[in-house]
Amino acid sequence: MSDRVTCEIRCPIHGFIGLNEWENRIIDHPAFQRLRRIRQLAWTDYVYPSAMHTRFEHSLGVMHVASLLYDSVVSTSSRVLKQVYGYNDLGLTRDRQKVRLAALLHDVGHSPFSHGSEELFPEKPASEADVSGPSRKAKHFRHEDYSVGLIRDVFRAVIDDDDWNRRNYGITADEVAAIIEGNPKAGPALFWRDLLSGQLDADRMDYLLRDSHHIGVNYGRYDLHRLVSTVRAFGEPEGGDSTRDLKAPRIGISSGGWNAAEALILARYSMHKQVYFHKTRIAYDIHLRYAMESMLPQGKYPSPTREGLADYLKWDDWRILGMLGGGAGGEHGKRLLTRNHYRLVYQTRENPRNFEEFESAEAELKSVNKALGDLVVARKTCVNNWYKHGSVDIPVQNERNPDDVRPLSDYSSLLRGFTSSDQELLYVTPESAAAAKQIVSGVLKKDHSPQIKMDFTGGKRKDIANAS
Amino acid sequence: MPASLLANRLGAFVQLAELTRGNLGRTQLMKLCYFLQAFRRVPLGYYFTLYAYGPFDSDVLSDLQTAESMDVLHTEIEYYPGGYKYDIRPGEKAGRSKGSAEDFLATHKKDIEWVAAKFGSRLAADLELLSTIAFVNQEEEIRDRDELIERVKLVKPHFSRRQIGREFDWLSGEKLLN
Repeated sequence: MSDRVTCEIRCPIHGFIGLNEWENRIIDHPAFQRLRRIRQLAWTDYVYPSAMHTRFEHSLGVMHVASLLYDSVVSTSSRVLKQVYGYNDLGLTRDRQKVRLAALLHDVGHSPFSHGSEELFPEKPASEADVSGPSRKAKHFRHEDYSVGLIRDVFRAVIDDDDWNRRNYGITADEVAAIIEGNPKAGPALFWRDLLSGQLDADRMDYLLRDSHHIGVNYGRYDLHRLVSTVRAFGEPEGGDSTRDLKAPRIGISSGGWNAAEALILARYSMHKQVYFHKTRIAYDIHLRYAMESMLPQGKYPSPTREGLADYLKWDDWRILGMLGGGAGGEHGKRLLTRNHYRLVYQTRENPRNFEEFESAEAELKSVNKALGDLVVARKTCVNNWYKHGSVDIPVQNERNPDDVRPLSDYSSLLRGFTSSDQELLYVTPESAAAAKQIVSGVLKKDHSPQIKMDFTGGKRKDIANAS
Repeated sequence: MPASLLANRLGAFVQLAELTRGNLGRTQLMKLCYFLQAFRRVPLGYYFTLYAYGPFDSDVLSDLQTAESMDVLHTEIEYYPGGYKYDIRPGEKAGRSKGSAEDFLATHKKDIEWVAAKFGSRLAADLELLSTIAFVNQEEEIRDRDELIERVKLVKPHFSRRQIGREFDWLSGEKLLN
């Protein structure tokens, strides 16, 4: 057997995705097959009915795109890779396989309905949570913790003990997990982590195209192949002083790809606004979270320990749907079954234009929240991570003058003007929505600051300041 | 994110920009925030993981962008052959931002001053190395000098063992390693 492609899987986005026999054996593992039963976008089908695709096909797609990116970087930047990391051809071939496995397995730790019930991951032991100082996010396990736990435990046999792998690569489950979690044990392969979780990563490149395709919208489209063909690694001198040590190489693009990179970021923005942050979609995340809380033992998922992971793998969408169909989940289970969701009555504006607007938005949120009192049954924060300043910081190298390297924002006036901030959303029950909307209208009438507010008469948003 | 946490973060950014005036780029800001959490336990709430360029959390850059859009910080880009760097300075609303984080800054004034004094004049490449050493020491709990140098060398092979060892010794001398 060799690592040549021995199996091709048809994919609506990429045509065919090729696998070698080893990858095929990993995909056959029950813990990977479970991803067929984890929907990519939770209950988004209650808004966009065809959003029924799963983490299984997305994981295959991420592996495919990661390989395209890897091959492109190697072909355009072998000098940097060999100079900085001491790669030879064998090393590059071995790390390519590691990156493919990391991409393939990066999502195996997802809980049922993907992100919808992640708030129910248990807290980390205090000693782990405090490693980098008090951190809001580090307090709880994340799905990545389950992915690396499963790779090290459940997948170890099909990675470390695979005969063909032992004879050819000797890749270990620890090495694959280390790339995903950002562990120094990954060694030079840590450089490739950006292809899985970075400014130009295979994860978002795949999910934008895939989600758009299945939902039936065009917002998420961009020119994948143009972008891939222009990706490269930059060895960056420190402040122009070439006698100094290099900063670590970064992934960037050549100037021919800047329009495609801009389109990727705009696609991400549009998909978040139109799909991922859709008010009704978010309402179903709320219902799922509370329904799951009533169905899970002690209201939490098991921890990603050896014993906990075995239990964790038993939780998938099918099990939840069966339980909901049997009447579990309480009030929220009923709302999920009958599509009778909470209603959004207020949200803060997306982009405060200055300090004063930011402060007035905070004050307005407090006023509305106080006026609504107990009518508010759920409050959600939309973290606008669809766009990070780092995304626009993608280095772009002039094709005609390699010394001319500029950030993407220097090329794109559209991206230069982008700002973002988290949005707060307040929900009430459908039964109290009419009363709540009146209260919110009353509060907003008193406030004449130029905010974007809900126009409840027409059900759409309008800029009060501009309209008056 | 609670508004108070964002206000505290931006207040810390402003104070770092004031203290390191002229030497605060994005890499510096990222690593100084890491040092504030890792060495001084300042509750900025970032979650750093390791990349080839050291500990990183994209939320730092997202917050920087928020600060720029509010005129709390002002960033210029400087170009040089083969690259570019950022120059982050206090903006027009820097004072108001600090006012919004008054209690937090009063509590952590010394921590921020300490980080700025210890690391504020270092180059980005140095900070990438120093923060990687600290990360490997804390996260991997590797305390042995030779073992730690070898582990860091794997991630950052473009630094010599001597360079890594020198920075290890400096951090160790400052009693910043476990």
